[in-house]
Amino acid sequence: MSTFKDLVRVAFTGLLARKVRTLLLLLGPMIGVAAIIASVGLTDSAKGDLKQKVAKLGTNLIEAAASSSFGGQNPTLPTDAVERALTVKTVEKVSAVVELSNIAVTPYTEAREKFETVPIPVLAADSNLPAVLQVNLVSGRWINQFDEDSEVRAAVIGVGLAREFDVLPGENRTIELAGIPYGVVGILDSVELEPGFDNAVFISFARAEIDFLDDEVQPNKMYVRCTEGTESETSEALKTAVNLGGPQEISTDIKSEALELAAQSDRQLQMIVISMGLLAIIVGGLGIANVMSISVIQRSAEIGIRRALGHTRNIIAVQFLFEAIVVGVIGGILGVLLGMLAIFVGASIAGWVFVMASWLAPAGIILAITISILAGLYPARRAAKLEPLETLRLG
Amino acid sequence: MNASTSADSSNLTILMELSHVSRVYGSGEAAVWALRDVSLVIRAGDFVSIVGPSGSGKSTMLGLLGCLDVPTEGTITVGDEEVTRLADAARTRVRGKSIGFVFQQFHLIPHLDAIGNVETALLYRSLKPAERRDRAMASLERVGLGRRADHRPVQLSGGEQQRVALARALVTEPKILLADEPTGALDTKNAANVMEILSGLRSSERAVVIVTHDLDIANSAVRKVSMLDGGIVSDEVLRS
Ligand SMILES: Nc1ncnc2c1ncn2[C@@H]1O[C@H](COP(=O)(O)OP(=O)(O)OP(=O)(O)O)[C@@H](O)[C@H]1O
Ligand SMILES: [Mg+2]
Repeated sequence: MSTFKDLVRVAFTGLLARKVRTLLLLLGPMIGVAAIIASVGLTDSAKGDLKQKVAKLGTNLIEAAASSSFGGQNPTLPTDAVERALTVKTVEKVSAVVELSNIAVTPYTEAREKFETVPIPVLAADSNLPAVLQVNLVSGRWINQFDEDSEVRAAVIGVGLAREFDVLPGENRTIELAGIPYGVVGILDSVELEPGFDNAVFISFARAEIDFLDDEVQPNKMYVRCTEGTESETSEALKTAVNLGGPQEISTDIKSEALELAAQSDRQLQMIVISMGLLAIIVGGLGIANVMSISVIQRSAEIGIRRALGHTRNIIAVQFLFEAIVVGVIGGILGVLLGMLAIFVGASIAGWVFVMASWLAPAGIILAITISILAGLYPARRAAKLEPLETLRLG
Repeated sequence: MNASTSADSSNLTILMELSHVSRVYGSGEAAVWALRDVSLVIRAGDFVSIVGPSGSGKSTMLGLLGCLDVPTEGTITVGDEEVTRLADAARTRVRGKSIGFVFQQFHLIPHLDAIGNVETALLYRSLKPAERRDRAMASLERVGLGRRADHRPVQLSGGEQQRVALARALVTEPKILLADEPTGALDTKNAANVMEILSGLRSSERAVVIVTHDLDIANSAVRKVSMLDGGIVSDEVLRS
């Protein structure tokens, strides 16, 4: 034990005596470990953020859209699609929408020219949509049964469009849909799983039928909340239940899967950064081996006198290894701290929550130590092989 | 001349013995017999000077006495240990336990201060740091450098550096102190100072062996061994 302490003490004095050289030695393992920690931590933080989002939004949102496998221009769902969907046991909530095509949306008549060319989606939606999407209104209210029954020209706009049109929350405003004025009754908050809704306009089915459609209005898309964990079965069941004829006419999409996919594509980037970190560590290791080999030659007189004073070859070898290990430990710790700082800064900038797996810090330090031991082996052997008489040159 | 004219001191403990020792460098045509069939006994209380022309084998013999080297032929005994039979690690331990060295070039470790250099001799010996420090300090005080304990070699004069080296050699209380040209790199005043310390180290338990070119120093010893061409040509007791 006291030998161990002596080894550590001598390693420290040796390293402290050559501060610049020691700093250079530290750089390799430090940068390598920092790069690895930062890349794993940052992708984990990003993934953690996505996971949080998915958890908040729920994994159980299914989009069921009419597909155009028959070649029809505007495929639609049956009028009673909502009732049919609700016959599936695992379905909890349903909302139907239809996207109306080619309606110019303008904030007021005078601005028609400016906005006519901007495609702004207009959707007819039922009163359940915010509940199914689990999204709130920034202000005002959603389209309700009264709007449906009384056929008033009421519209809800997405938060992005509200900003575009300078509509203040609670303000009494009208917008024009193909020149027809609609009163804005509410502003919908942004919908993570359906970013297109931020700039969309929502009106009632009844009003859509009167103002913009020739035939009876039919939904072309449904949003379905199912029991958690039954997403795939529900998707399949929906296809049969909604379209009694041919299941090929309706396509389903589990909305959270896109986010999970996004998290996966980050893995590749992570692998690249980790490889670069490993490369940095290996180069750092070679640097340690190189600098320490030179140091063995420079310190050959010191090694010779230590051998004369009774230090065995093993002690000399282990002493050099300990210098490498101390470099590895300190470089590793500094690397972990630097990596954590990078994660913290990166996550703060991106607005993520700081996520760092508990195994990362010990793994980084162990990696740095392993590399420095490997790097120290060769110089340590060389130091141990020196013959005291050859290095001391007696008189 | 005979290699054992100092036989009259045979009542004292034998600390070290070279017996028919040869040391050959290289082999075949290029072989150099640095030592040829040398026998020598070092006893406790000895104060020996080794003299001889350059290349006569003085340093080679000192390396063998110090267990820094192994002979090509013959046996070397330190205490009751036949070091020629020992493996490198065991030989190194004998060296650490029984032998102290002083070199012409001091060979202090440049990044350590005086006391750090002295302490180096006490490393890996299961000593508590405080005890190690105390012993190193005592040793420095013995050579009159207690006040310079925290000075690094570059901050010390040649004479002071050699005294630090002496303190380092003494701190382990070795039975045998070997010095190869200890005054070779010093001016007269510092040389005298170092020699004064060395002669003060003479004791009935210890032997001091000094290789030197300086005849005054050689003749101030108690026993003088003269070498020529790898052999001992005379071994005389100058005083008792
Ligand atoms: N490592 C070596 N390889 C080959 N020959 C050597 C080696 N070391 C010493 N010699 C030779 O052995 C002989 C004795 O050398 P040694 O160093 O012992 O002489 P010395 O008496 O100490 O001389 P000096 O007074 O010059 O120091 C010399 O001829 C020298 O050239
Ligand atoms: Mg010599």
